[in-house]
Amino acid sequence: MNLYAKMIIVLTLVGLISGGCLSVVDLLTRERIELNRQKEIEEAIGKVVPGTKNYTAAVEEKDFTVYKAKDEQENLIGYAIYAKGTGFQDIITLMFGTDPDLNLINSLTILEQKETPGLGAKITNREEFLRFWEDRECGQKLTLRKPAVETKEELSPSEVNTITGATISSQKVLDIVNLSLEQVKSLKNEGKLGGEE
Amino acid sequence: MAAKSIGQEYVKGLWAENPVFRQLLGMCPTLAVTNAVINGIAMGLATSFVLILSSLVVSSIKKLIPNQVRIASYIVIIATFVTIADRFMAAFFPPISKALGPYVPLIVVNCIILGRQEAFASKNSVGRSLVDALGMSTGFILALLLLSSIREILGAGTFLGHQVLGEWFKPWIIMILPAGAFITLGILLGLALLIEMKTQRRRA
Repeated sequence: MNLYAKMIIVLTLVGLISGGCLSVVDLLTRERIELNRQKEIEEAIGKVVPGTKNYTAAVEEKDFTVYKAKDEQENLIGYAIYAKGTGFQDIITLMFGTDPDLNLINSLTILEQKETPGLGAKITNREEFLRFWEDRECGQKLTLRKPAVETKEELSPSEVNTITGATISSQKVLDIVNLSLEQVKSLKNEGKLGGEE
Repeated sequence: MAAKSIGQEYVKGLWAENPVFRQLLGMCPTLAVTNAVINGIAMGLATSFVLILSSLVVSSIKKLIPNQVRIASYIVIIATFVTIADRFMAAFFPPISKALGPYVPLIVVNCIILGRQEAFASKNSVGRSLVDALGMSTGFILALLLLSSIREILGAGTFLGHQVLGEWFKPWIIMILPAGAFITLGILLGLALLIEMKTQRRRA
């Protein structure tokens, strides 16, 4: 057989068999991967809006999603906002929960981050960072308290704490939240979040 | 080269031809993912899966592949197994898959795998290639385990997430950062060389 023909046949066959195997693997795993993603979102919503029994996505964009969190009687008990933004080194993905009027942040949780281990990565730590994000008034823009304080009582209601040694990471998280809050508020004013079911 | 026994074919991967310490192959995952023991083990297992299956396939079809397209064929075979491993991890071990991030797809370009296909599986029988791949995998896993243990214990005071050093210990954050990977690998490579020189002198 001609060498060129052989080369083409072999490479085509290898490619076809490989493609076939991969489509089978995709069929077997696709559902599960999607399920994992949904479960992660569901857990995060439950965390940032306590008491959520059911939720629907009100606005869904690539890097920004607003979920309506509802209780057993389908009353709106708050919004869970999923947002992405740049951190110190890589994208930070987070979710925070607000009350139905968008005046109070219940709490914040970090879904994905690649900040410096031991410094910026403390944004995932409740003791060092996340507890200073609980029950923040967000009628106005939130601000960052620098230098860091030890107790939550020292912060004004619309202030959040800095991590000592990781000011940039703390600031980036705040930026992501402030930006997405603005977006949600304007969406709400335009009535795009739907009625208060 | 005298024919090696099957046993020697396996054992050589552990020390004499250890992929990390002796051949200096696969440095990218070695440095990047050994910041925690669990990541090291997961990367070691994923690489082994790809290496063993690729060696099996390549050694069994070696006669069919024309010499001119052998590298292309090997890469497609390797990439197939890597994608399978990647999807499988994302489906069943999402936290590990997240921690390893882009380094799973990068197994495709891990030189250990392509190197073993080119240097061994394409010239030897299926049985020998399997044993060779097993040996190299074991050597790679052991190397990652050693590196990640040192880095996690010194860098976080934990082993597999369990606290092993007491409250008095202040973690050396640098060990978890890239610099710590280079420092640890450098010291280990030096030690490996030292041991090798000592044993050679004794033999001579």
